[in-house]
Amino acid sequence: MPRRKRRLASRIRAYIRGLLSFLFSNVGVIVLVVAYTIAGAFMFQAIEGESEMERMTHMALERNNTAENLWQNVTLALNLFNETAMKERITIELIHYQKKIVFAVRHGWDGGRSSRQWSFSSAFLYSLTVITTIGYGHLSPRTNWGKVVTILYTLLGMPLFLLYLTNLGELLARWFKCIYALVCHCRGCPGFTKRRAARFRQQLDISDAESIERPPHWKSGYLDSDCTPEYRIPPNARDFQRRPDYFRSASMPQPWERREALPAQPRGWSEPLAFRTDSEGTSEFSYVTFDAQTITVPISVCVCIMVGYIIFGSMLFGMWENWDQLDGAYFCFISLSSIGFGDFVPGERVYTPRIETSFIACSMYLMLGMALVAMCFNLMQEQVIHYFAGLKRVLKRVSRCKR
Amino acid sequence: MDRQPVNASYHGSMRSRDSSSTGSDAREKIKDCFRKFVAFMFTQVGVGALVVCYAILGAASFMHIEKDNPDEQLQHVRKWRQSCAEELWNITVANNIFNETSWVLKVDKVLKVFQNNITAAVHTGYNGRSPEDIWSFPAALMYSLSVFTMIGYGNIIPKTIWGKIVTIAYACFGIPIYILYFCNMGKVLAQTFKWLYITAHECSRRDDAVFEEGEIIPVKRKITVPSTACLWVISFYILTGTIMFGAWEKWNYLDSTYFCVISLCKIGFGDFVPGANISDSAGGSHLKLVINFIYVLLGMGLVAMCYNLMCEDVRVKVRELKEDLKNCLDDITLKITVCMNDTKHFHQKQSRHVK
Repeated sequence: MPRRKRRLASRIRAYIRGLLSFLFSNVGVIVLVVAYTIAGAFMFQAIEGESEMERMTHMALERNNTAENLWQNVTLALNLFNETAMKERITIELIHYQKKIVFAVRHGWDGGRSSRQWSFSSAFLYSLTVITTIGYGHLSPRTNWGKVVTILYTLLGMPLFLLYLTNLGELLARWFKCIYALVCHCRGCPGFTKRRAARFRQQLDISDAESIERPPHWKSGYLDSDCTPEYRIPPNARDFQRRPDYFRSASMPQPWERREALPAQPRGWSEPLAFRTDSEGTSEFSYVTFDAQTITVPISVCVCIMVGYIIFGSMLFGMWENWDQLDGAYFCFISLSSIGFGDFVPGERVYTPRIETSFIACSMYLMLGMALVAMCFNLMQEQVIHYFAGLKRVLKRVSRCKR
Repeated sequence: MDRQPVNASYHGSMRSRDSSSTGSDAREKIKDCFRKFVAFMFTQVGVGALVVCYAILGAASFMHIEKDNPDEQLQHVRKWRQSCAEELWNITVANNIFNETSWVLKVDKVLKVFQNNITAAVHTGYNGRSPEDIWSFPAALMYSLSVFTMIGYGNIIPKTIWGKIVTIAYACFGIPIYILYFCNMGKVLAQTFKWLYITAHECSRRDDAVFEEGEIIPVKRKITVPSTACLWVISFYILTGTIMFGAWEKWNYLDSTYFCVISLCKIGFGDFVPGANISDSAGGSHLKLVINFIYVLLGMGLVAMCYNLMCEDVRVKVRELKEDLKNCLDDITLKITVCMNDTKHFHQKQSRHVK
């Protein structure tokens, strides 16, 4: 009986742990963010939807009032067909009216063109702009409750989105490194690993030769920061002596016991987990992924990706909204850098049945774009740190030669 | 352990000699000055000055770019108004009788066209002021701040092509500088605040120690600032902002709290911006803009500080929680094993009895 109970308890614990780890995994975080945004959309729609109707009728009333005013004050008061005088009076009235319109539009009136401002899709976009801190501002809460809820929603939503960004940014960075290694460095090509191993050995000889003439305390400082763009020399040379059989093991399956005897290797050079489990077929692949994490992606590639994404966005939005290229690129940049002026907003200009699609595509574009920015930031940070390490090394070398 | 200081001093001397040990004293001095300058630039004062300088530079360039361009919107609006007046006159002439209902109906139609035109103009950035009024220096300063802090109020926007291009370039360089400022300021403020908190804490604890003399108090304990203290600081700052802006702009308290939160969270809807009232005269709002600039910049530093401290706090809390959970689990497993052993004994005894 107690045994079964324990099994149940452990199973429950495993379930809970699985659920938690899923929630903090990438898929879970994405689902959480989307669910939070949808919940926000419904909430804001319910809160703000009613006051919107009031404003609509209020504006119509204002127009009628102006017409009445014109009749009362101008036409009746003047009471004669004097063109210039009448035009002057009308102009004064119109300026008053214009000020009222500007004020109303500034405070969220839409000119009565779209029937409902707080439709589901626009409320969704609103809550997305809140938690991503873009904040276009073409929609903003007018009621007191709307404001209070916005503040609370922000305080809860921003950390959530930050979690999403870091999580997805890391994941994308890892994937991108794999792809980059596969495509640009041809890590997957057969026979390449052997050549690379040979080159490594050569490099090792050189660094050994160098290390002889250096005092020991330099060596320790030097080797720590010693890395070059394509590959890294392992932190200390003693581990490296075992490298050859590691390389063999990467390309061809080896007996299980010999690898078991290997000591734990430093970070970045440790053997992949998938490798230990089994199988000859995956060994090649796992070698690729393993090596991919040690390389750094140059900054120019990151910049190219961002520029490409922005140009893609400008084409996409240009097609939907009839913006020219510069405006589209400006909009994408302002959105992705989370500035969000709100002078260009998707779905505001064109009132076609396509509005809904454009809203959804826009939110997808924003969420993916934010993650891409985070990814690029990750990669660039790594590269900058790496550059600094290289610079430090060079400086140390310069200071070593006494000429 | 003792190698490290030697190493450091050695490198220090190396660096001061640098690559040009044969050079004269003057050259060395210049290099020293330069290095000191670079080191200063990466301290908090240097970074703060850099941010302010960058903002001023941006303000000057945006002002220069945007001020010159003739605003087409203003002329458009004037033209629409004239044509509207013309049409109203035509209606009056055509009707030629004082029939109120029909006259009002027709006027209403004309007014609706006018209203739609104006709405479209407002959506594309018309707000009834000429570029000279809008792009005053403090407003441009506020604009460049809102670009590189990623707030983006959107009450002032560039209308020329060059303005847009320069904005993009400005953001590209400004955002890293701002992030540097954010990190730096956060670290420094966090250290200061932590120091203050710890001194206060120790003072109060000494009193406690006097109070309960006989007990042994664990002295060696790492003190982390609790996140509630950070929240208090932030809410106090927001409260200050609320009262200040509420008094100036005659907003109610909810509105000004809303403005402060939206600004400090970098959302920046732009529905409430100090000094950007349409009916406001351009002259009176300049001081407010400058003070808003300072408020936002300082607030960002405070937010960074709280972020730093709360990260630390959360990390400590999570570690404690993990340890607690581990202890709890160990306890439970121990109990279960003991229980199982007991039952095993019991079963064995029973079976023996049966035998």
